[in-house]
Amino acid sequence: MDALVQLNNVTKRYDDGPAPAVADVSLAIEAGEAVAIMGPSGSGKSTLLNLIAGTDRPTSGAVRIGGERVDRLSETAAARFRRRHVGMIFQFFNLLDDMAVIDNVLLPAQLARTRNTAARERAEELLATLRIAHRRDAYPARLSGGERQRAAIARALVNEPAVLLADEPTGAVDRGAGEEIGALLLELNAAGQTLILVTHNPDLAARCTRRVVAIADGRIESDTWLHSQAMPPAASRGADW
Amino acid sequence: MSAVLSAARGGIAGRKLQAVIIGVVVLAATATSVVALGLLANANGPFDRAFARQNGADITGAVDPSAATPAQIAATTRLPGVTAAAGPYRTVLVTAHVTAPGVPGSSPVPLRITGRSSPGGPVDDLTLDDGTWAATGTQIVMARGDGVFPGSTVTVGSRKLTVTGVADSVTGTADAWVLPSAVGALAGRAAPVEAQMLYRFTNAASTPAIDADVAELRAGLPRSALLNAVSYLSVRQAEQSAIAPWVPFIIAFGVIALVISVLIVVNVVSGAVIAGTRRIGVLKSIGFTPAQVAASYVLLSAVPALAGCLAGAACGNLLAIPMLSVNAHVYQVGTLGVPLWADVAVPLATFALTAAAAVPPALRAGRMSAIQAIAAGRAPRPSRGYLAHRMLSRFAAVPRPVTLGLAAPFARPARTLVTVTAILFGAAAVTFGAGLALSLDRVVADNPGTALPVQVSPIRPGSGQGGSMTVAQQHAVVSALAAQPGTLHYVAETDGQLSLPGLPETVSVTAYGGDPAWSGYALISGRWYSRSAGAAEADVNTLFLTETGTSVGSAYPLHSGGRRVIVRIVGEVFGPGKNLDVYLSPATLGAIAPGAGPQQYGVALRPGTSPPAYANTVSAALGHSYQASVSGAPGRTLEAVLALIATLTILITAVAGLGVLNTVALQIRERAHDIGVFKAIGMTPLQTLAMIVCSVAATGLAAGIVAVPAGVYLHHAVVPAMAHAANSGYPASMISVYAPWEAALLAMAGLIIAVAGALGPASWVARTRTVFALRAE
Repeated sequence: MDALVQLNNVTKRYDDGPAPAVADVSLAIEAGEAVAIMGPSGSGKSTLLNLIAGTDRPTSGAVRIGGERVDRLSETAAARFRRRHVGMIFQFFNLLDDMAVIDNVLLPAQLARTRNTAARERAEELLATLRIAHRRDAYPARLSGGERQRAAIARALVNEPAVLLADEPTGAVDRGAGEEIGALLLELNAAGQTLILVTHNPDLAARCTRRVVAIADGRIESDTWLHSQAMPPAASRGADW
Repeated sequence: MSAVLSAARGGIAGRKLQAVIIGVVVLAATATSVVALGLLANANGPFDRAFARQNGADITGAVDPSAATPAQIAATTRLPGVTAAAGPYRTVLVTAHVTAPGVPGSSPVPLRITGRSSPGGPVDDLTLDDGTWAATGTQIVMARGDGVFPGSTVTVGSRKLTVTGVADSVTGTADAWVLPSAVGALAGRAAPVEAQMLYRFTNAASTPAIDADVAELRAGLPRSALLNAVSYLSVRQAEQSAIAPWVPFIIAFGVIALVISVLIVVNVVSGAVIAGTRRIGVLKSIGFTPAQVAASYVLLSAVPALAGCLAGAACGNLLAIPMLSVNAHVYQVGTLGVPLWADVAVPLATFALTAAAAVPPALRAGRMSAIQAIAAGRAPRPSRGYLAHRMLSRFAAVPRPVTLGLAAPFARPARTLVTVTAILFGAAAVTFGAGLALSLDRVVADNPGTALPVQVSPIRPGSGQGGSMTVAQQHAVVSALAAQPGTLHYVAETDGQLSLPGLPETVSVTAYGGDPAWSGYALISGRWYSRSAGAAEADVNTLFLTETGTSVGSAYPLHSGGRRVIVRIVGEVFGPGKNLDVYLSPATLGAIAPGAGPQQYGVALRPGTSPPAYANTVSAALGHSYQASVSGAPGRTLEAVLALIATLTILITAVAGLGVLNTVALQIRERAHDIGVFKAIGMTPLQTLAMIVCSVAATGLAAGIVAVPAGVYLHHAVVPAMAHAANSGYPASMISVYAPWEAALLAMAGLIIAVAGALGPASWVARTRTVFALRAE
């Protein structure tokens, strides 16, 4: 079976950098998997995530999601691809401050010109699932860190993406909220959502994922399966690609 | 101080685009203002200098010597308020033939000849341009400007006079001068002699003051003795008609450019303060005082503004040269330039204005708390615009990037207001400029050259012009015109010149055989003269009414060769310039000048008829003894004015567009991270472009709609001022130039300015890679 996310010899070099941010990385992630990418600051974790999301392009190598060469897409095609197939969660939430929670969540669906009724139904359902429906009309500035990240997760999932990319999702919330976010991600993955999680937090990685890819100086140092689970769940959304 | 300069230099380096925008808009404002002031100064300057040098006459009076004794006339020189006087000079109005050596033929011209023993005197100290003053009774000195030079001959009746010199009177007190003893011989029995008196007064700076002086003179003389009194102010205004009409609209454009510059500077500095919150915090934390912080932010705009001022002054001088050359030609003063005081005052004032505009936002930066500024880290989040986002997100039928863009102006209402105002002024300039061009088009349309594009006349041996057509010639031309299928209608035209008592200039008289409305001249008020034989009616141009103190409905006596006819003025004709024009029927002209007959025929053509082809056909039909010519294109001056209007309109529009560009650049700088988020969640480059363009499009459209009435109002204020400067009133057709569809089109100007200004930065952001946008702070 082809991997949902496939990186082949991917290198990313910045003009001003003495060494590549990502060096000759090859990685395959199956649909339904939950993978943690770990490493120290500056090791290239976030760059790798950006390359998978198509928000950045590799200097060399190939990035495929569901067989699509993401690295070869134009900016427009990459944006269309991302809005349909990739959900992103950020450390600092990146909610738009001048929009209420419901409007933040609806935004990717509206950009994708999803039918309004369907988009609203999906957004309301997600807010309920993520236990934030009671804050649907609040503005981000009025939310706690945990609530903001749950709103961000709802926004990432509104277009039912094949892959959910999370960059330090608990990095800016307190311990309790962090555990809550972790539990949510675990639930999502259990429901079949493919998850790629960048984190410093080994507990979060252990709790939410079954595979840990360790990266240092832009290179994969280890690729470890946890809990003796070598195979992803059979029923996954990504399998329908 | 070096720390402040260093901080300002760093600020400018980080905002090169804004610095360039400030420099360019200040350049445009300075250049326009320099041109306006340069023209304004030179419109009055040369005349005033010549007037002062010659001790020009404030009032030139024509006194009837049969109604006032020499003692009574002399008594007027001692009236209170009279500071200097000259005269009485015996003056006679004659018809003369002037012959220049080497130039074949001559034509009759009316001359006002004044007897003076020398060119000097306490008032109207003439400048002798060429030759010598008249020394005998057969010598004459001609006024400057008629192409006559020493050695020419002037024939009055049977007397032949030799031109010995050419002189200039700044107020045009006479067309020629002879020795006082020679005047009587020239007058003969038919021509009336008047006594010319020249006065200077203590108070003669304004029209009311001149009116009071004239009233004093009138009261000092027997009733009806003062035939006419001409003010130097009306002469000056007539002389200025070459460039004075340009001044009002250039001033209007200059003011618009200045206002937009100030608005842009306010936006740039405010934006720098908002976007540089962390920087301000850092500056304060390392020891900058509030005054030093404020000074560094004023310098942020002051440095590029200073560069713009200096470059603008240079450009303004270059722009003014071709316009001033027109005035230089009028006064024969070689070259004219922008006065030094204007070159210094305009850049200084513009610089002070733009620097002052930067002070309030800079003071805000100075007052900012260091801790808060550092803690905020970047621009404080706007707390406005939530409702707009909420409401607009409801419109599911409208693409989301569009509604996101439309909501953006509500986040920063003050900046939006400033941007709206800048676009409004730019769009108003478009409406105003378009209206001016349309009005000038009407000026071109409302003249005989357009209405009667073909002229037919017999070719006369010798001078080639002047004499009337014989009856046979008239029949031949009428038959030829009637036979042409392209002929719409035609008028017979008789032209002549009259010198009237008390008027410094000769009066142009035109009689149309046919409907005078066909002449193409527009009526400002009243109606055209009646063509019936006994009507004795006339139409005149505005300057005639001004200089004679008459109005539509007045009666006015016309004289020629001892004949006198009192005509009723029934209409005011649009005839700008420094000529006095009278239009009357051939019958009325015949009563003054019995021998006058048509000299040419003006022909209007049916639609689709080519004037050159028509002229060729008529020439062929009439043979070699006649010529059919086509009216020339509008004058170069008019073309230059139209080009100037277009240039200034484009300049102002570009400046307003730069204002939009600046606003969008600030908006992008502040919202760079949000734009990164939009892109990360799937906003395409085209959607990004649409969002940013829409963030100013509605603003531009609203400003454009408001700008139309504003531009129309400005047009309605400036066109009368231009007409007045050209010594004329204006017909309604010159003001009512905006058709509804044109107004609707002009309302789009704001939208176009906004979109054009936003497209550059929006395209740049749309192309930016998502990862770089996401990292932006």
